[in-house]
Amino acid sequence: MKNKFRWNLLYNPFTKIAGWQAFAVGILIVLLSGLIGSYAGIAFDGAIDTHITENLTIKESFLLLGIDIVSVVVILFIAGLIISKRLRFVDILGTMTLARAPLILLAILGLIVTPVSAEEIMSNPMAILHNPGLVIFSVISIPIVIWFIALMYNGFRVSTGAKGAKMIVGFIVGLIAAEIVSKILIFQLF
Amino acid sequence: MLPSKCPSCQTQLKVKSLLCESCHTEVSGLYDLPLLAQLLPNEQDFIVKFVRSSGSLKEMAKELSLSYPTVRNLLNDIISKINNYEK
Repeated sequence: MKNKFRWNLLYNPFTKIAGWQAFAVGILIVLLSGLIGSYAGIAFDGAIDTHITENLTIKESFLLLGIDIVSVVVILFIAGLIISKRLRFVDILGTMTLARAPLILLAILGLIVTPVSAEEIMSNPMAILHNPGLVIFSVISIPIVIWFIALMYNGFRVSTGAKGAKMIVGFIVGLIAAEIVSKILIFQLF
Repeated sequence: MLPSKCPSCQTQLKVKSLLCESCHTEVSGLYDLPLLAQLLPNEQDFIVKFVRSSGSLKEMAKELSLSYPTVRNLLNDIISKINNYEK
């Protein structure tokens, strides 16, 4: 029973924590992710994007994370307002920031990855398989990204209180729109 | 706690008779349960706590160790249920 409870919290902590409290915990983890990511060469370059890169400064890393959070929070807040009347901005802000917590694992994993240049992959695609760090990163990143999106979904569900198809469509459309907006902003700024 | 649903088929129960404990007079008929008695025991408990906290969802969240939007969603579910009963 106790184990099940803990598992539920990993999947949906937002029944227990939301609002400013979730934002405070979330922003601390996001800042750590940005810091580790800049050393590890992991760029969070999109609302739901992560890429291995070279020469990423701390400033750029934090700027990318800022764009990601602002895009997700603003777009999902607008989507939430369309499907639910009772919605607090601080709940979307808190849950969406805390939902990014699993991404710190990607930043840590990035420390073991040696980047492979695009030219090298183009000339020899098998080069990826000769880089064990990259293979481990690719395999482990899948459940982490699923966990991250599941957290965002639960955060949106708890914050809006909406149910059914309306909520699912609102979340999916909002997330895609946030990804597009974040990509446009990153393209404009970098 | 007064049962509100039939244990066999889950249909809403009605009151068939009431008894005066003092003179043992029995009043028979077919009466609807009061609105709040139609709710589940945990929902009735939630309403009692809500009234005791003077309608403060923040206080309720603290008492139940739940987040504010979760408590608000529980309240919204009860409001929808009451609206359905009234229809």
